[in-house]
Formats: sequence, structure tokens, C-alpha cells
Amino acid sequence: MTIERMNNKIDSIIRACRLIRKMNQSGPNARKSDILYYNMLEGYYKRLLSAHDNNNLIAAHTDFFPVELLYAMDIVPMHTEVTTWMIVLFTGEIENILASGSELGLVSEICTPHRGIAGAYANGVVPRPDMMLWSNLVCDNTAKSGELIVEITGSKGYFLDYPFKSSASEMDYLVAELGDLVGFLERQSGRKMDWDRLSHIVGQMNVQIELMRQINELRKAVPTPFSPLGFLQLITADYLCPGQPEAIAYLETLRDELSQMVEAGEGAVSNERFRLMSFWLPPMHMMGFLDRIAEEFGAVSVTEPFFTFWGEGELDPGKPLESVARKSYIIPAMRMFGPMDERAIGSIVDCVEQYRVNGAVYYANIGCRHTCATIKLFKDVLADVDVPMLTIDCDVVDPTVTSEDEVRGKLEQFFEMLEDR
Amino acid sequence: MNSLDRFRKVNESFPMTDQILEHKSRGGKVFGWLCTYVPEEIIHAAGALPIRIIGYSHEANLDDADAHLYINNCTFSRSCLQLGLEGEYDFLDGVVGGSTCDGARRLFDIWRQYIGTPFHHVLTVPRKYTERAQRLYYDEIVAFKKHFEEYTGVDISDEALHQSTILFNESRSLLRRLYELRKRDKPPISGAETMEVLNAAYRMPKEIFNEWLGELIGDLESSDRACSGRARVMLVGSVLTNPEFVKSIEDQGALVVTDELCTSTRYWGDPVIIDNDRPVLESISRRYLNNFPCARMYPSDERFNRIIDFAKDYRVDGVISQIVRYCVPYAHDLPLLTDRLNGQGIPTLGLDVEYGTSGSGQVATRVQAFIEMLEARDK
Repeated sequence: MTIERMNNKIDSIIRACRLIRKMNQSGPNARKSDILYYNMLEGYYKRLLSAHDNNNLIAAHTDFFPVELLYAMDIVPMHTEVTTWMIVLFTGEIENILASGSELGLVSEICTPHRGIAGAYANGVVPRPDMMLWSNLVCDNTAKSGELIVEITGSKGYFLDYPFKSSASEMDYLVAELGDLVGFLERQSGRKMDWDRLSHIVGQMNVQIELMRQINELRKAVPTPFSPLGFLQLITADYLCPGQPEAIAYLETLRDELSQMVEAGEGAVSNERFRLMSFWLPPMHMMGFLDRIAEEFGAVSVTEPFFTFWGEGELDPGKPLESVARKSYIIPAMRMFGPMDERAIGSIVDCVEQYRVNGAVYYANIGCRHTCATIKLFKDVLADVDVPMLTIDCDVVDPTVTSEDEVRGKLEQFFEMLEDR
Repeated sequence: MNSLDRFRKVNESFPMTDQILEHKSRGGKVFGWLCTYVPEEIIHAAGALPIRIIGYSHEANLDDADAHLYINNCTFSRSCLQLGLEGEYDFLDGVVGGSTCDGARRLFDIWRQYIGTPFHHVLTVPRKYTERAQRLYYDEIVAFKKHFEEYTGVDISDEALHQSTILFNESRSLLRRLYELRKRDKPPISGAETMEVLNAAYRMPKEIFNEWLGELIGDLESSDRACSGRARVMLVGSVLTNPEFVKSIEDQGALVVTDELCTSTRYWGDPVIIDNDRPVLESISRRYLNNFPCARMYPSDERFNRIIDFAKDYRVDGVISQIVRYCVPYAHDLPLLTDRLNGQGIPTLGLDVEYGTSGSGQVATRVQAFIEMLEARDK
């Protein structure tokens, strides 16, 4: 194995955040929420860079990991997927990272995000964590990624086993798994869990979830006030900073801004024509392009059933560990992890009705098996309620898979078809 | 050898074998299972016939399945679905799956939506072996039994479960005896022939299978059959049911003496330990969770250590890992498994294949080179 070691590139994210924030501030339509969003990101990565100087440990973790526990113990989280792919976005290091993953022996059928994160740890683009935490949320790749990273980095690891369904015994299992995780964190850090602090964070999570529900309510307005791909910011806030003041400040400000726009009848794009439902992540390298397309065609994503459509329920700060477990079952993505039953499928139809959707775009990431397996199913479900769906074959991080011209062509045809209806 | 040929004949009428047809003609119910974590004993104890849902054991047109599951799901899932969509599994009264891997759970989801099989059940299968995981899996098995009883209208007694367990343990024990014969320098049965026997095990009542297998073992023990090859090889990796693939490896000069596949050793690996101090259902659930593990389980070293033990026990010269494209759990494990096997001085050949492939072309060339390398090493 000959993987060239590099310095970690966390500072590239910090620099990019500062730059984007400055650009936002200097623009004519500067939004305070955007500034707060990039402040949140910058703060997150500054804490990561200075963790060891501040005598804190770094815990790398995979998607949907309950980082509330880490915040309650002053352990600095590093979201493995988000961090790796922000570095790629801001440095263009995609080739090195994927090549390092392949050098480890990971075949090309393993999705680029997970082949890449192993590569990023191997070549040092992301810092070596003190511990690696992973779970089976939300696919086999997340479940299998941790052991190799533990081996590469020499860190201690904990695998959190999420049950597939949500029966009482499965919830008990998850709560006990979380209890073991707390024990692991205490042993690794030499610190005790601060249960009062965790209760406070759980209480703040209630606030955060409620803010996201309010924002989603505002998105129902015609025209919709939220930016075409703004949902990515919502999920990033939850992935990185659940129950944290900076996330709540961002979401409160955003809600207020959107509320004012709804009152004024202002839309996110100048001439809203198509209200779209989005499935999964658009290619990260096409964000600017997709924003321009949205403005050009008046097409806005108004709902994302598996990303932003939170389930019912409230958390109980008096039972913090149970609440962290409970949260796992109300996050929108959980519908994709469990059985694809009437509840999961029903949420799609609910969203169509509530958000007055007239078209859906399915970003079929070619490496993602468990999502792509639902393309026909979702298309058929939507056809039953007279909503056409466009499938865009792409890769969330690899720019060589789909070109902007190709995507533009597909979207143009789709919008023409919607217009003809 | 007649006792071997009759297993082949069972497989010729796949997926609706004569034995399934006969069971149905007597008014019996047939339930398909999708993964080795589904306990067959429960289905059998209700008087029904459990059969394994598998796909075409050859390269096939999967257009319908591609449309329903997309091409980045493994060919095993798509091949099973293709047969289901074509109506080849219409004789099933129900399907039982588990949350074992993305391919299996999505196959179950799509099957439930598009194929009109009357009964469906999906089990949560923990990924750990802890005592807590054992309790959760036991609860899942209890819930499955209850659901199954409600559907079939049959109360499954402990005694019936006990008898089914004895029957299935006998199959496991006989398959172990068959594998013991493969430890010989010149085994009386080849890898491809063994796969024919195993394939039949999923498609016929165990009562008949055990009788036939007992006779086959007797015949093999008393025969002068002797298979030989230039290197003793173990097969590991994804689901595999195509004897032609194994034969193509053996045609290159390898002697496939053992394997780590969910369609063979991991199917019969461990018996249910009947313990009078615990309910038989709990003994069953413990066996299924603790059995020779799938790559989905954590920690992976449980699986790696078992593979190494098998490799030593069967005196293999090398390991061939065949991984069906998009079989993520096995693909993720390969770098670590290769490292562990290297540590034991056992070379590994990694093959990226499609389910049902015959193993010709590139595969044959690579196997040939691997055998030559193993031979050169021995000199």
C-alpha cells in the first residue's frame, strides 16, 4: 500500500466559510441567516482544529450519530462524511482521496462517499481522531466503514447497532446501546457524562426540531420563500450542531426571515413556476449550477420527505438517553432505514398534498444501493397522485459521472413536460 | 453415482421442484426465506415447507428486476426478484426476510410491493453477539412465531419445535460429515458436486434430504472416487449457488475443498444447542444469531477467525474471494480479510463477479494464474 500522506485540510473549510460569509455580507441582498450558517460551520471546524490544544478529544463519527452525547462531554465531534466532502468541495482533492480509498483495496462498487472517507483517513486529509464512532444508520457502507478506519488510524472504536424497526424491545435495545456508548466515551475521555448538560441539549433539540418544523411550514407558502437547495443547510445544522446555540440562532433567524418573506409575498426565485419534491443529495459540485437553473426556470425544492419532513413526537429532557434514542426515530432519514412500509411511502403522498408539489426530482447516486432501489417504487407512488418524477443519474461527489450539460438537458425537458401539463 | 445424481435432478426443476409440487399437492403451504438469519425450524414446526429463495444459477436477462431494483443492487437480489416478477415463485404462501443487508431488505420491500405473495414478515437482525442482542433477536423470533401462527392458524408447540430442531440439526450434522470427507488428500466429492447437494437442501423437505444425504455419504465413504487438483482452495465471499462457477475453478486445476458461503458452511455451520434450561425457541434464536457470521456482523474478526480456522482445518493453499458486485458487506471486509490471511501465510485471490456467472473468460484466466502462483510457492 503506497498512500501519500498529506496535511489535514480542515483549514480549507474555515477559509472557505470566511470567504463565503464575506461575499454574502458584501452583497446587496445579504441575509443574516446565511452569515450565521457560515459562522456555525466555521466555529465547528475551529473547535476541531484546536481540540487537542484545548485538551479535548476528537471523536470521528458517521452519519446520524447521536453527537448530543459528545457535546455533553466536551468531546469534539468530527462528522466524517460532511468533513471529507467539504474538503473535496473546497480543495478539489477528489482524485487523491478516491485513489487512496482504492489503494486500501476498496472496490469501485463501494460508493464514492465511503470509499473516499477511508481514503481521507489513510492519506491524512482529515485529522486522526482519538476515537471512531459509527453505526448502521443508514446503510451497509456506514455499518462497515468504521472497522477499516479504526485499523487505519489506530483509534479506539465503538459501533452503535440501531435496530431496524421501532418496537418496545428495539427501543430498549437502542437505549442500552447508547448507555454502553456513554461508558465507552467515559473510559476513553476520563470524563463523566454530564447528565444535566445532556438534558439541556435534549431540551434544545426540541427547540431545534420545532424550528425546522416551522421552517417547513413556511415553505408551504406560494411562492415558497426558502432557497432552492436550502434544505442542505437545514440538514447540515442537524448533522453537525444538534441542540447547539449556533444552530438554533441560525434557524431562528432563518425562520424570521422566511416569515417576513411569506408576509410580503416574496419567493425564493423571482418567478416560481415549479414546486419540486427532492429525493437525496444533488451532486455537490453542481450546487451553483443548480441554483442558477432554479432561478432560470423558477423551479424550487419545497419538500424533501426523507431529509426535512420530521416525524411526530417530542423529546423528554427528563429522560435524556431515551430521548436521544427517540430522536433517531423521528429524524426524516429513519424512514429510509426501516421497512419501506405504508408509513414511509405515505409520507411522500403527505408531502405532495401539503406542499402542493407538481414534480419530483430523484438524484440517483450511482453508488447508493438502498436509495436507488426505490426509484420505481417512488415513481409509481407519485404517478398515483399525478406527480411526474425525473431521475438524474449522478454521483454526489465525483464530477466525472454527470456533466452539467446532461443535467441541464434533462431538467429542461422535464420542465417543458410539466409546463405542458 | 445415483445417490449424487438425484440431487442434481432436484435442481433441474428449479424453482418449483417435484418435492415442492408434491408438498403443495397435498395441501401443504410453502414459505420462502431470503437470508440464513431466518429460522426455518419455526416454519417447519407449523407443518409448512421452508424453501430458500434464490435466483437463476446462470447469467440471465434481468430487465424487469433492473427496472424495479436499479442496477446498483447486487445481481443476487435482482435475480431473485426477476424470478418473482416472472411468476416463478407464485407457489409461495409467504416470504420471510431479515434486515441483514441493503440488498436483502430492499429485495423484501420491492417484493412486498410488486409481487402478490400473501404473507410477509421481516426480522430485525442485530449486528452484534452481545447478550442484549441475543435478547432482542429472541423477541424478534417470538414475534415472528406469533405472526406466523396467526397467519397459518397453527399453534406451534414446543414439542413440534423440538422435533423440527432435531431434524434440521440432523441435516447440519450430515452436511458436516460430507465436508469431513473433503479434508482427505483426494476427496471423493468435488466442490461443484457439493454445491449441487447444497442447492437441493433448500428445495426439498429435510426428511427426504437427510435420508438421501445419509445414503450419499455411505456411498462416498465406500467408493474409490478421488478428486485431485494442483492446489487446495477455499471459496469465500458473497452468496453463490452456481455449481458451474465452482466447476470452472476446478477445471483450472484447483481442488475446492471448503468454503465460507451463506449457501454452504454458513448454512449448516453450527447446530442448535438444545438446552433443557431454556425454551427451545431461545436455543433456536441463539443459534441463528451466533452461527458462522455473515460479513454484516460486528466485529468482523469473528468471521475472519472462523475462515482462518477452516483454512487450516482443510489445509488450503489459497483462498478465492468471490464478491458479487455491489455486495458491500463483503467488499468492505476484503482488505481486512486479505490482511489477516496474509498474516497466516495464506494468499488470496479477489474476484469481482456477477451472481450466476459461470466463471469463464477473465475469471478463468485469473484463477489459472493464482493456481500457478500457489504451485510455485510450494516448490
